[in-house]
Amino acid sequence: MERHFEQELEKLKKRILKMGDLVGAQVHNSLEALLTCNNELAQQVIGFDTEVDKLDVKIDKLCQRIFALTQPVATDLRLIMSALKINNDLERLGDLAVSISSKIEGISDYKEILAGLKMADLAQMADLIVKDMVNLLNNQNTSMVRDIFLSASAIEDRVNIATGHILEEMMHKSEVIVVATNLTIILTQIERISGLCTNIAESVVFIVDGRMIKHDKTFRGSFVSDNEQKEE
Amino acid sequence: MKQPKIQTRELSLFYGEKMALNSISMDIPEKEVTAFIGPSGCGKSTFLRTLNRMNDLIPFVKITGEVLVDSLNIYDKQIDVVNLRKKIGMVFQKSNPFTKSIYENVAYGPKINGIRERKKLNEIVETSLKNAFIWEEVKDRLYDSAMGLSGGQQQRMCIARALAVEPEIILMDEPASALDPISTAKIEELIFELKKNYTIVIVTHNMQQAARVSDYTAFFYLGELIEFGKTRKIFTTPDNKQTEEYITGRFG
Repeated sequence: MERHFEQELEKLKKRILKMGDLVGAQVHNSLEALLTCNNELAQQVIGFDTEVDKLDVKIDKLCQRIFALTQPVATDLRLIMSALKINNDLERLGDLAVSISSKIEGISDYKEILAGLKMADLAQMADLIVKDMVNLLNNQNTSMVRDIFLSASAIEDRVNIATGHILEEMMHKSEVIVVATNLTIILTQIERISGLCTNIAESVVFIVDGRMIKHDKTFRGSFVSDNEQKEE
Repeated sequence: MKQPKIQTRELSLFYGEKMALNSISMDIPEKEVTAFIGPSGCGKSTFLRTLNRMNDLIPFVKITGEVLVDSLNIYDKQIDVVNLRKKIGMVFQKSNPFTKSIYENVAYGPKINGIRERKKLNEIVETSLKNAFIWEEVKDRLYDSAMGLSGGQQQRMCIARALAVEPEIILMDEPASALDPISTAKIEELIFELKKNYTIVIVTHNMQQAARVSDYTAFFYLGELIEFGKTRKIFTTPDNKQTEEYITGRFG
């Protein structure tokens, strides 16, 4: 006899995955719009945000209903607690995609700055970490978490270098200050994208293993050594 | 809300001079589960028993108002109470198997209704036990005494017995309160399945159970209907402060 409760959990999982797919596409399109200075695509991203918001509310309501009506425990409780948090993180990823899209106007006149920042590489890394996060949500294979953390670390390094580069530009060319300020914000937002992906990876670890690794400063190191031990 | 199967109109009930139900008006939807919750003595079981005239058996009871089932007032003089209770089955807190075999327990109602053909009775017994999710557990011992079943099995067999006379409505008065968590979960899943074909009304002290199994919830207090609505609404954002305080355990 299948528990009726299972149907509710399946519905929740499907909605989270749908949210992951939608937000993944939003981030991808916003970065594509940035690199190609495609204002039309940027406007599409901005316009589509209402769909993301609607699904966000739907997932929150479903979680509220499951909490109130089914009193989940153990793995079920972890799943629903985490679903709320993952949903929130995904919605914020969607907001970042919108924010990036709203700042690309005027950048087309300064494509050489984008090239100097190696923005194409950075965008590709951000796109990849989001794809990995969506895959992790889908297959819950926590061995992928290590890669997500390593990617986030690499993105952070690249953002720091690019930020330094852009400050240089601003000091020497006052005419680029407006666009360079927007690019600095975009860089911060790309870093936030990777940060939210690691948050979501932490939530998946909590669902699967029951380990609460957020704020665990030793986690990255221990995780890497765990994996090395396994490989041995 | 779906088409109402049961409607009460300003239904009041008195035990002698004491008012136990005060002008209850409610539409109970067809093929949904409706739960009655409230503290002890609030009138929820009394109200349940008005829905198939079980209170007729209690002396000094006076009832005013109406109970309409499929738009017919069941308290009209021309209503045949035996036929009414065929249409409205009931399951009690304590399972009450007859001291007969499992087969005889389930076949009892159809036999009373004049069904004698063995093949037909076999079909009814099998279908009823299957619909009550107990067939697999008892199919090899149908002629053993029902008293040998566990408490949870006895309760599901009693539900099969209620189903055997093909009711349209099933009233359940604390059907799982005497059962362990696993048997309770089976009864709850059974209720969920049964609502596809039957209108179910359940009284429960267990608020979590009401939340899990029902589509609609009615909260009673001191013989009054305080709030009635969709369960998902009652248990997330009730309109009434008393309902909120009761379901959050602040009083009752």
